[in-house]
Amino acid sequence: MTDRSTQTAQSKHLKKRYRAEKRFKFFGLAAICSAAGILLVLIGGLTQMSIPAFTHHYVKLDIAIPETTIQAEQVTDPVAMRKVNWRGMVRKALRNEFPEVTDRSGKRAIGNLLSGGAGDAVRDKVLNDPTIIGSTVEVALPLSDDVDLLLKGLIDRSLLEENRVVSDRELTFIDHLEATGRIDRRIAWFLFTSGDSREAEMAGLRSAAVGTLLTMLVTLLFSFPLGVMAAIYLEEIAPKNRLTDLIEVNINNLAAVPSIVFGLLGLAVFINFFHLPRSAPLVGGMVLALMTLPTIIIATRAALAAVPPSIREAALGVGASPIQVIFHHVLPLAMPGILTGTIIGLAQAAGETAPLLMIGMMAFIVDTPMWINDKATVLPAQIYMWANNPERAFQAKTAAGIICLMVFLLLMNALAIYLRKKYEKRW
Amino acid sequence: MELIGLMFLALIFLMPLGANIYGRTRIRKLMITSAQTQSEESVKQHSLTAFHGLFMSMCVLLPALVIILCWLAFAPMVISSLLVSEISRLTGETDPRLLSIFVSKLEALYEGVLKAEFVEPEVRQALGYYSALIARANIFLYVVAIFTAIAGFVISARQISPRFAARDKVEVIIKRLMQLASGVAILTTIGIILSLAFEASRFFDVVPISEFLFGTHWSPQIAIREGQAGGSGAFGAIPLFAGTLMITFIAMLLAVPIGLMSAVYLSEYASKRLRNIAKPAIELLAGIPTVVYGFFAALFVAPFLRNNGSVIGLELSSESALAAGLVMGIMIIPFISSLSDDVINSVPQNLRDGASALGATQAETITQVILPAALPGIVSAILLAISRAIGETMIVVMAAGVAANLTANPFESVTTVTVQIVMLLVGDQEFDSAKTLAAFALGLVLFFVTLMLNVLALYIVRKYKEQYD
Amino acid sequence: MPETKAFQLNFTKLISNIFIASFFLLGTTFVASARDQIVIVGSSTVFPFSTSVAEQFGRNTEFKTPIVESTGSGGGLKLFCAGIGLEHPDVTNASRRIKKSEFDNCQSKGIAMTEVVIGYDGIVVANLKSAATLNLSLKQIFMATAAKVPAPGCENDCALVENPYKMWSDIDPSLPAKKIEILGPPPTSGTRDAFQELAMQGGSKSFPTLNALKKSNKSEWKRIVHTVREDGGWIDSGENDNLMVNKLIANPDAVGVFGYSFLEQNADKLKGSNVDGVAPTFENIADGKYNISRSLYFYVKHAHIGTVPGIKEFVEEFTSENAFGEEGYLIDKGLIPLFEEERDAIRTQGVALKKLEL
Repeated sequence: MTDRSTQTAQSKHLKKRYRAEKRFKFFGLAAICSAAGILLVLIGGLTQMSIPAFTHHYVKLDIAIPETTIQAEQVTDPVAMRKVNWRGMVRKALRNEFPEVTDRSGKRAIGNLLSGGAGDAVRDKVLNDPTIIGSTVEVALPLSDDVDLLLKGLIDRSLLEENRVVSDRELTFIDHLEATGRIDRRIAWFLFTSGDSREAEMAGLRSAAVGTLLTMLVTLLFSFPLGVMAAIYLEEIAPKNRLTDLIEVNINNLAAVPSIVFGLLGLAVFINFFHLPRSAPLVGGMVLALMTLPTIIIATRAALAAVPPSIREAALGVGASPIQVIFHHVLPLAMPGILTGTIIGLAQAAGETAPLLMIGMMAFIVDTPMWINDKATVLPAQIYMWANNPERAFQAKTAAGIICLMVFLLLMNALAIYLRKKYEKRW
Repeated sequence: MELIGLMFLALIFLMPLGANIYGRTRIRKLMITSAQTQSEESVKQHSLTAFHGLFMSMCVLLPALVIILCWLAFAPMVISSLLVSEISRLTGETDPRLLSIFVSKLEALYEGVLKAEFVEPEVRQALGYYSALIARANIFLYVVAIFTAIAGFVISARQISPRFAARDKVEVIIKRLMQLASGVAILTTIGIILSLAFEASRFFDVVPISEFLFGTHWSPQIAIREGQAGGSGAFGAIPLFAGTLMITFIAMLLAVPIGLMSAVYLSEYASKRLRNIAKPAIELLAGIPTVVYGFFAALFVAPFLRNNGSVIGLELSSESALAAGLVMGIMIIPFISSLSDDVINSVPQNLRDGASALGATQAETITQVILPAALPGIVSAILLAISRAIGETMIVVMAAGVAANLTANPFESVTTVTVQIVMLLVGDQEFDSAKTLAAFALGLVLFFVTLMLNVLALYIVRKYKEQYD
Repeated sequence: MPETKAFQLNFTKLISNIFIASFFLLGTTFVASARDQIVIVGSSTVFPFSTSVAEQFGRNTEFKTPIVESTGSGGGLKLFCAGIGLEHPDVTNASRRIKKSEFDNCQSKGIAMTEVVIGYDGIVVANLKSAATLNLSLKQIFMATAAKVPAPGCENDCALVENPYKMWSDIDPSLPAKKIEILGPPPTSGTRDAFQELAMQGGSKSFPTLNALKKSNKSEWKRIVHTVREDGGWIDSGENDNLMVNKLIANPDAVGVFGYSFLEQNADKLKGSNVDGVAPTFENIADGKYNISRSLYFYVKHAHIGTVPGIKEFVEEFTSENAFGEEGYLIDKGLIPLFEEERDAIRTQGVALKKLEL
C-alpha cells in the first residue's frame, strides 16, 4: 500500500520532472523562433517597403535636337553643355503630345509631369553620341515622383482632388500617355549611379557610398596598425604590472563607451581643438577608428593567444629573437583571426550614425567626394536624412537605402565568416 | 612655397629609404673588407643585413617626425604671439579683443580669402611681416627637420659595423612604438574625460551640479532670441535618467529571457544543423545598423503597438517607451546570447556528466548546475548589455519622445539622455548657451555610468568566476 | 600548413605599404586645397529650400553644387561666426532673425554679412483627415498650450493657475470632447520659437489679466505667455518629419504643430485647423491673413565673396523669380513667397550685398 503510493508519487514526480524538461526545452525553442521571427519581420518588412524604389516610370518621347542647340565638337565642354536649355526641350516635346492644351496652367501641369532632371537624359544621350544632334531621337524621360507613385498605385486615385497631390487634369494627361503606350517601368539605376538630390526621382546613393568607402579607408589605416601593435604589446611583450593592467581595463571600457560620446570627443578634439575640417571622412574615419580600436585589439589578442606555445618555443629554439618569433611566426598564424576581427569592427563602424551626426557628416552632398578631406556623408547618415524628408517617395527610398547598406554590411560579414571558416585552425 | 613644402615632405619620406639602402650596402662592404683583411679569422656579423638598413631608416625618420609634430603643435602659438606684438606696434592698439580681430583678418588676407580693400592699412602693412614670418618659420622647420634627419643618418651610419647589434636596437624601437600604440587607449579615455569635463564645467558654472543631478524637472527652454522669454529653463536631469532606465528596463525584459534561452538552447539542445543556421542568423541581428532599428521602430513597431493597444483598450502614446524599448531589446538579443553562449560553453563537460550521473534531467542540469556555474559571466554580460542600451542613440532619436516626462507608465512617451544630447546639439538655439553645454554634461554622466557598469562587470567576473583547471 | 601560406606576409613590405599610404594621407591633408564649393550650414527648416536651390545651382551653372549641412539655426550661426577663412562656412540659414548677441559676436570677428529673407513658413495646427476639423482661435490655442492660464471663468485680475484644460471641450463646448494631445516641435526648434511668439503670445492678448501683467511685470508676462505646458497635453515631437505623420495616423485624436510645407506634402492625410476662422492655405498665408507665419532667412559672408566661387551667383539664383517667386520651384517645396515688391527689394539688396546693420 505504502509501496504503491510511493511508486505513484515517484512516477508523478518523475512525470512532473519530464514535463518541466519539456517545458524548458520548449522555452528555448520559442526563444530561438522568436529571434528568427523578429529578424524575418524586420527584413521582410523593410524589403517589401523598399521594392517600389527600385523601379521608376519613364515616358518615351521623340525629341528633336535642333542643330542650333550645340555644336558636336562642343559636347565635351561642360560649360557649353550647361548653357543648353535641356529642360525646356523635353517639356516642349511633352507638350507637343497634347496639342489641345493651350492655357498656361495646363502647360505648366504637363511640364510638371516630368522630373526636374528629365533634361539630363537628353544631355547624356547627346554626350554619348554627338551625331544625333540635328535629328529626332526617342528618349526615355523620368517622370516626377508623384506621378511615379500614382502609377505604382501608391496614391489613391479615388480620393477627392484636393486631397491628392496629383490633380484631375494631370490624371487625364497621365492616362492619355499610358493609353498610347508611352509609359514604361524600368529599373531605377540612378539609385546607385547618382548623388543625393532633393527630388526623389533623382536621388541616389553614390556620393554617400563613396563617402563610406573613404571613411572606412581612414578608419582602417588608423585602427589596424595601432590596434595590432597595441595587441601584440599587451599579449606578447608587456610585463604584468599596474600600467598594463590599467591599459587593459581602459580598452575594455572603451569597447563599451556609447558611440555618441566618441562623437562628442571628435567634435571637441578634432574639430574644435585641432581645427580639422568638418564633414570630412578624415575626421569621421578617425572617430570611428577610435571606436573600432578596442574591437580590433580584443580580436587580435584572442587570435594571438590561440597560437599554441609550441610554435613560439620552436622558433625560439632555432634562435629567433622574441620580436622575430612574433613577426615571423605568431602573427602570420594569427592573421586570419585578426582580419576577421578587423572586418567585423569595420562593418560595425560602417553602420554607425550617431557620432557622425556630431561632426557634421549629415549634410546634403551631391558631388562625389574625391578624397578624405572633401566634404562627404556616409550611407547611414544618408538614410537618416532621407527618413526625414517630407516627400512621400522618400519613404520607399529610405527602405531601399537600408537594404543596400545591409547588403553591403552582409557582404563584409560574410567575408569575415568565410575567412574564419577557411583559415580557422584548432590546435 | 607649396612646392617647397611638398618637396620637403617627399624628402622626409625618401630619406629613410635612402638610409635603408645605404645601411645595407655599407654592412655588406664592411663584411667583404673584413673578410679580405682578417682572412685568418673572419668576423661574424651580429645582425642580419636588413636590420642594419632598418636601423638606419628609423634613426633618420623618427626624430624628424617628432620635430615636425612638435612644430605643428606649437608653431601656430608662437607665430600668433609674434603677430600680435607686431600689430600692436603698428596700430598702437592694446585691446586683446581688437588685436585678435586683426590677427584673424590678417590670416584671412594671407590665405587669400579676404580682399585687401576690406582691411585696415595697418593690417595690410603687417601682411609683409606675416608672410615673411611664415616663410621663415617654414624654412626653419625644413632646415631643422632635415638637419635632424642628416644627424640621425651620420650617427647611425657610424655605428654600422659587423659587431653592431642592430637587431636589438631595432627591436627596442619597435617595442617602444608598440607601447605608444597601446597608450592610445589611455589617451582616448583622457581625451574623452577632458573634452567632456571642460564643457561640462562651464555648464556647472550656470547650473549647480546638485540641481542637474537631482532636479526632477527638465525643460531646457532658455530664450532663443534676445527679448524672448524662454520659460522655466530647468535642467534637472532626473526625468532623463528615469526615461533612459525605463527604456533600458523594457529592453532587458525582452532581451534577457530570449537571449539567454536561445543561448542555452543552442549550446545544450540544438542539433548541429540548427546551430549552424541559428547562430549566424542571430549574429546577423547584431550586424544591423542602429539607424535601421530606429526606422523599424518608428514605422513598424510604434504604429503596430498603438493600433493593437487601442483594440485591447490601452492608451498608448505614439512615442511610447514601449516601442523604443522593445526594438532596443531586439538589438540587444544577439549581444546577450553570444556572450552567454561563450560563458555556457566554457562550463566544463564533467559538470554536465556529473549531474547526469546523479539522474538529473537536462533541464535540471542546466538550471541547477550549468547556469549557477556560468552566473558571474552571465551577470557581467547583462551589465554590458545594459550599458549598451543606455548609450544607444539612433533608436531612441527616431522612436522615443523628446518630452521629459517623469512617469512610470511605459505606454507614455519618455525621453533619454542620448536623445537630449542630439536634440541639444543640432537644435536651433544659440550655441554657447547652457543648453548646448548641457549636452556635454549629459555626455559626461553617460560616460561615467557606462564606465561604472563595465568596471562592475569586470569585477564580478574576476571575483566570482569559478576556476576549473 | 598550406592554408597559412597565404598569410605569410612580408612584414617589411606591409610596413612600407602603410608608410606610403600614410605619406599620401599626410601629404594631401596638409596641402589645403582651395575650396571651390560653397558651404552652407544652418536651420533644418530652411534646409529643404536651400538644398533645392543648391541642386538647381549646381545643375544650371558652371559652379559645383554647394554643400548644405543641417545644424540648426543656432549651430549654423555659431559656425558662420567662427571666423573668416576657407574652413568656415560661407552661408548660414536661419528660421529666425540673427540675435543681437550673435551679430555682435560676428562683428567682433570682423565678419560682415548680408541678410536675405526668402519667404514665409506658416505654422499650422493639423490633424488627420478623418478627424473633425478644428476651428480654433488664438485664444483657444493659448488655452490649450500654455503652462499657466488665468483661472477659468474669471474676467479681470485673475489668479494664474496650472492649465486645467484636459479636453478640447473644456476650453469651448463647440470643440470636440477629445483629450488635448498636441504633438509639437521641441524647445530646441525655431518652429517652436515662432509658435510661442506668434500663436501663444498672440492668443494671450485676449486675456485682460495678462495684458495687465505685461504692464506691471514684463519679464514675468513673457515667461507666462511663452511657457508651454508640460503636463502631457503638449508632447515634444520631431520637427517636420515623416515619423510625425505616422504618429498622427496612429493617433487620430492628436493634433500636430509644424511648418506649412509639411502639411502640403501630406495633404492627402492631414488637414490644417482654421485659426481665427482662416484656413491655413497657401493664399491665406501669402496674403498675411493667416496669423501664425514667420520669415525664413539666410546670411552671406562678405569676406568670402570672390574667393569661394559662385557665392554671388548663388544669391542671384536663390532670389530669382524662378526660385522664390510665386511660381518658382521653392513654392513646390512648400515655401510661401513674399509679396512681389518685397521680393524685388530683397533681390536688389541681396545682389548688391547690402551690409547688415543691427
